[in-house]
Amino acid sequence: MSISDATVAVSEELAARDDMIVCRDVDKWFGDFQALSGITATIKEQEIVVVLGPSGSGKSTWIRCINRLEAHQNGQIIVDGIELTNDLRNIEKIRSEVGMVFQQFNLFPHLTVVDNITLAPIWVRKKSRPEAEELAAALLERVGIPEQAEKFPGQLSGGQQQRVAIARALAMEPRVMLFDEPTSALDPEMIKEVLDVMEELARSGMTMMVVTHEMGFAREVADRVIFMEGGEIVEVGTPHHFFTDPTEERTKLFLSQVL
Amino acid sequence: MSDPLQVDRGSSLSAAGARPPFYRDATVVKWLSQVLTLALVLFALIFLASQGRSNLEAKDIETGYDFLGTALGSDLGSGIDTNPNTSGRALWVGMVNTIRLSIGGIIAATVLGVLVGVGRLSRNWIVSRASSVFVETLRNIPLLVQIILIFVVIASLPRVTIDQGPIPGWLHISNKGVSIPRVYVADGFYQWLIFLAIGAAIGWIVMRQRSRVHDETGRSTYPVLSFGAVVGVFGVAGWFLHPIFGWVGAIFDFGASAIDALTPGIVQAIISVAAVAAAILWIRRFLASHRTPAGLTKLVDDDWFRIIFAAAGAVLVILFVTLGWPGLSSWIINSGRDLFEVLGDKFGNGRTGLPIDAMRPDIEQVGNFPNYGPSGLNLIQGLAAVYFGVVLYTAAFIAEVVRGGILAVPKGQSEAAQAVGLRRSTMLRRVVLPQAFRVILPPLGNQYLNLTKNTSLAIAIGYSDVVQVGQTVYNQTGKTLEVVSIWMLFYLACSLTISVVVNFFNVRMRIVER
Amino acid sequence: MDDAAGTRGTAAAGGAGPVGPVGPVGPVDPAVTDVAAAAAARARPPEETYRSAGEWIRKNLFSSRLNSLLTIAFGLLILFAARGLLNFVFSEERGWDAVRTNLRLIFTHAYPEEQYVRIWVCVGTLVVLTGLSLGLFAGRGEGVQLQKISTVMAGVGAAIALGVILREPSVLIGADGAVVRENDDVVRQSFFEAMADRWAWWLAAAVLIAAGVVLRRAVASSKVSISSVPAVEFAVALLALPVLSAWIYPWGHFAFVDGTFIAEPGRTVAMSTKVPWTVMWLLVVAAMALGRLMRRGFDEQQQQRMRIPLNLLWLASPFALYWVILRDPHLEWDRVLSVDIPMGVLFGVIGAGVLWMLTRPGVGELGRIIAIVLLGVAAFNWLAAFFGWYSMLQKARLSFLLLALVALAAHNFAGESIKRRRLVVAWLVLMAIVHYFATLMNAPSTVETPTEALIGGFAVTVIVAVFTIMLSFPLGVLLALARTSRLPIFRVMATSYIEVIRGVPLITILIFFAIILNLFLPVGMEISLIASATLGYTLFSAAYLAENVRGGLQSVRRGQFEASDAVGLSTTQRTVFVVLPQALRVSIPPLVGQMIATFKETSLLAIIGVFDVLRMANSVIPAQTQFLGIKREGLLFVSVVYWIFAYTLSKQSQRLERRLGVGER
Repeated sequence: MSISDATVAVSEELAARDDMIVCRDVDKWFGDFQALSGITATIKEQEIVVVLGPSGSGKSTWIRCINRLEAHQNGQIIVDGIELTNDLRNIEKIRSEVGMVFQQFNLFPHLTVVDNITLAPIWVRKKSRPEAEELAAALLERVGIPEQAEKFPGQLSGGQQQRVAIARALAMEPRVMLFDEPTSALDPEMIKEVLDVMEELARSGMTMMVVTHEMGFAREVADRVIFMEGGEIVEVGTPHHFFTDPTEERTKLFLSQVL
Repeated sequence: MSDPLQVDRGSSLSAAGARPPFYRDATVVKWLSQVLTLALVLFALIFLASQGRSNLEAKDIETGYDFLGTALGSDLGSGIDTNPNTSGRALWVGMVNTIRLSIGGIIAATVLGVLVGVGRLSRNWIVSRASSVFVETLRNIPLLVQIILIFVVIASLPRVTIDQGPIPGWLHISNKGVSIPRVYVADGFYQWLIFLAIGAAIGWIVMRQRSRVHDETGRSTYPVLSFGAVVGVFGVAGWFLHPIFGWVGAIFDFGASAIDALTPGIVQAIISVAAVAAAILWIRRFLASHRTPAGLTKLVDDDWFRIIFAAAGAVLVILFVTLGWPGLSSWIINSGRDLFEVLGDKFGNGRTGLPIDAMRPDIEQVGNFPNYGPSGLNLIQGLAAVYFGVVLYTAAFIAEVVRGGILAVPKGQSEAAQAVGLRRSTMLRRVVLPQAFRVILPPLGNQYLNLTKNTSLAIAIGYSDVVQVGQTVYNQTGKTLEVVSIWMLFYLACSLTISVVVNFFNVRMRIVER
Repeated sequence: MDDAAGTRGTAAAGGAGPVGPVGPVGPVDPAVTDVAAAAAARARPPEETYRSAGEWIRKNLFSSRLNSLLTIAFGLLILFAARGLLNFVFSEERGWDAVRTNLRLIFTHAYPEEQYVRIWVCVGTLVVLTGLSLGLFAGRGEGVQLQKISTVMAGVGAAIALGVILREPSVLIGADGAVVRENDDVVRQSFFEAMADRWAWWLAAAVLIAAGVVLRRAVASSKVSISSVPAVEFAVALLALPVLSAWIYPWGHFAFVDGTFIAEPGRTVAMSTKVPWTVMWLLVVAAMALGRLMRRGFDEQQQQRMRIPLNLLWLASPFALYWVILRDPHLEWDRVLSVDIPMGVLFGVIGAGVLWMLTRPGVGELGRIIAIVLLGVAAFNWLAAFFGWYSMLQKARLSFLLLALVALAAHNFAGESIKRRRLVVAWLVLMAIVHYFATLMNAPSTVETPTEALIGGFAVTVIVAVFTIMLSFPLGVLLALARTSRLPIFRVMATSYIEVIRGVPLITILIFFAIILNLFLPVGMEISLIASATLGYTLFSAAYLAENVRGGLQSVRRGQFEASDAVGLSTTQRTVFVVLPQALRVSIPPLVGQMIATFKETSLLAIIGVFDVLRMANSVIPAQTQFLGIKREGLLFVSVVYWIFAYTLSKQSQRLERRLGVGER
């Protein structure tokens, strides 16, 4: 079948690259509720993976496990060859290699935009202030809001705030970017400006893992789509395969509801 | 379909889970730092305690609570009788004084505070200004200064005379303080209480039934009113019939002898078993909440800590009861027996007098000087100063609480209520006040706590509350540490009681809301 | 969020939640604060305009039958209360001399006359700092409406006139407090005679009313081009009036110094009073002018930068001033040169070396392990001190501990050499300050007082309050952090400490510290009454403060923690840079409330035997042979002093609250 061939072709090209994130049999419970069960997946270098699924399916939990905002309880998570264990040094390393963008932006409201961006480079990466500020200016340029540097987050629109949040994550020069529903809290007219920044980022070769409900983004930018439900990975495939010819019943049901 | 991206299980990478060195292990660091800090704090406390002990020994001061049973050389100014005249009884009198003062203070401060708080919102300029001045003056002057000032002012009032005014026989105000008619619990009160309890129970059933009728038919059935009517009927009947419950005392007498039959060993065993049972029950519940259809979830370190904490708690209780303070169990037996004997007496036969009685104040001539007699409710100098001091001071704070609570109800609420056509009284009762009350209640409870604690300032003017009595006791016996520990336990118990009561209403309010 | 609300709810009822009086005094629940802020915002309806005074009276006093009744009842009540108060204050029997001659005693107790200049130096320093702060930061765009000033002037004039009429023609109050009209010596004057006697009051009232009316007219007819004057300048200028009156009006020359009683009514105020106060006023004006000049010269960012040194000066001033008051150290130069200076230098140099090493790039965990080992050694030093294993100078122990703590934070400064250099310099400065003060502290003081306590009265009240506030703040923040921490043992410890302290009255804790603390200390170690009382206050106040800060901490959203973790900040960095700045901003109003509460609570010092301002009025003055038993006047005066301070603070905190509520987020 042609579709399946295409899948394999892309996959083989991908498979040759290095592993960036490896999850193996990851389990996670909240009390007696199992949020993740047996998550096993690999994300290659420079790959764009979009995670889809109904709300409560564990996508956010999974992405938050990858930089240890939540601790997983069974299985392995390996980021860029470093296993996420109780080892504080590993946690530190992984957090400075993995950038994260949140649904609610979570900018620091008491700091100016430029201070938001330079805080971690100065105190974690031990950069000097001028160096960090130069970096911040470059990043703000990149996300398209160089003129907002001295403002406070509360003075910006939602889309601008989210772009600052992306710049803040990029300031740590991460090897992987995680996006946890970056556009869900935005007004419709602001979604595009954020998606544009993300697309630009994808083109520049960043490894990205994106939880989102933006099907258009998934279709156009993603290398692969992972569909989750009930804390499990239901289906994995290229966007083309996923949106035109899903294998699983549950995927079909989900797509029929959202498309 | 075999996805080349799916990692085959059990590849070489899975061996990467070697434990890091302990100083980099998040779990180890987390618990080690806590345990070390705990150890440091415990060590400091133990060190100070041992230092204290050796210092006390060097000064030939013994520790222990035996002094509670020995005689106290001085009289207390006021309160219930000091019989037997021991330090323990004196402290008990002090506690009763504190509790009376607090309850009376809470009632008066609430009434005054609500009036002033509502007054501050009044549209009448003079009323709102007067209330503001009241609040701003009283809460910005230290309570202690106010109490001493009131005390001094009372002391400079005219001397008490035989025909003391301002209303002879009803209200006496002089340099000896204030005397008003006394309403007191008399002979048949406890039997009468049984009537009231029965009345309340029946009234409750009637009220439920009435409101069900109201819900079903929509007729006005006055459920609260009928509750009041039933209780009232029983109250009136009980006023005359209460001696028929004289036999209840025998039940309590039986309880007293039953408790007396216990030995300290049995009490220790009961407490230990209860502690262990509680711990086991808690752990089982905890585990049950972590059980899924697939089996027990993996317990993280915090879960283990909770389980260990519960178990350790039970062990500590057992150790405390058996080794830490072996005298506790006999103390429990003795006081339990005494309590039941007292209740047996109160509910016993032959109490035919009125449940509640009242007396007017009088003046009696002792030697050359007239003084207040025992029949009125005498707020002597010190008591009056503390009482008015804490009432006025707390009322100023309660006024602010009340004002804030009323202002906190959004204007939209009353507008919505008017929009659906509720009458003004219904709107206040059903919409505004319940919401205001929810905001008011927690800080109000805090004010009650503050009032109770503030009564301890009585020490400055020599009124015999628990702190002042305690000072007398440790001055005579040198048992400072023990007295301070009794104070702390007493006030903690008071705080806890008030918190429980407030919390009860708080929870109820929340249910009412939903 | 649900969780946070739940804990708060149970805590509130479970013994002592962060609830408190709504308003500025006492601990305040954050939720309630919001409510109060909202209420305050709403409580001021848009100014209604009235066409005439008659309309105002109709609307505000007699709008309904009930309102009329209330107006009359309360009006009568207030008139009677005012009459009673006036009769009390202006009675010819009042012993106000007891207060007037004892002012020095009330404010500083028995501080030696010849050393009094120290007190003035302290006051002067504070005054200059206040002036600078006001000049630099206060009163941006705030003004007092001239119309309001005119209203207040006329109102005060009317109140004075009313008071003059209200007072009984001739007031003589007996020892029993009742008004005595027939007295052998004093003939009762007629009403008109009495009114005529009070011509000075009439004059004052008339002048005030006239001035108010004229000003109002002028404003209304827009003859005066400005409608408001800057608030801060106006307030400072107003202070000139009492100072000026001390030079002009014969208030009388009263003093009670070293047992000598001087009362000379009819003279102007003593030089030793009016000269210093004039200097103080000039200082405040000069400092404020300087501040304004600096503000004009600087841009926004430079002004913000000025805030840091000024705040540091404020923070350091209590400690520095304390030494100024307490000590005139007599140094033994042999010892200073042979022991103190070498030791300071040694610690400075070795510590600097250690810190330089620890901040080399790439030190990693090794640095932290070394720091923890240092901390262990420092703790062991204190331990050894308790057991007497080996002797060591106290300041050496302190320096060791400081070194360990700085080393623990050193990894934050690792990397660039400029940061490392800054850390080392900061360490050297810290050592210089610590050793300087420790040396001075060890030297015997030459300030001697006739009584046991060096300073008392209102000064001791302020000293204890200020030190309690400054010391309990870090402790309270730590407790709050522990109570909201994810580490259960810390949480349990902090919670039990806070709840126990909040469950018992302050006086029991004070008695514990005043009487019993010395029993628990190792032999040979003693602690003075004021120090142990301050310790008790600090531990008490910290528990309440912790609850206020906790309210703020709970208002910091979870996302802030997550975002900090995600960008790789360590727990300490997260707390210092992200969480605390947000939490403390929310907690400012209740924290000011707690400050006021602490200030009022210092009156309890009198119970445990400290000669504070209350004790002066209640015990010391009534024991003087000239003023035997005169208590009411002194107590009233003390009440007024407390009231002025607490009221001003609470008003300021309300303003702050409003500003925080509507201003920047």
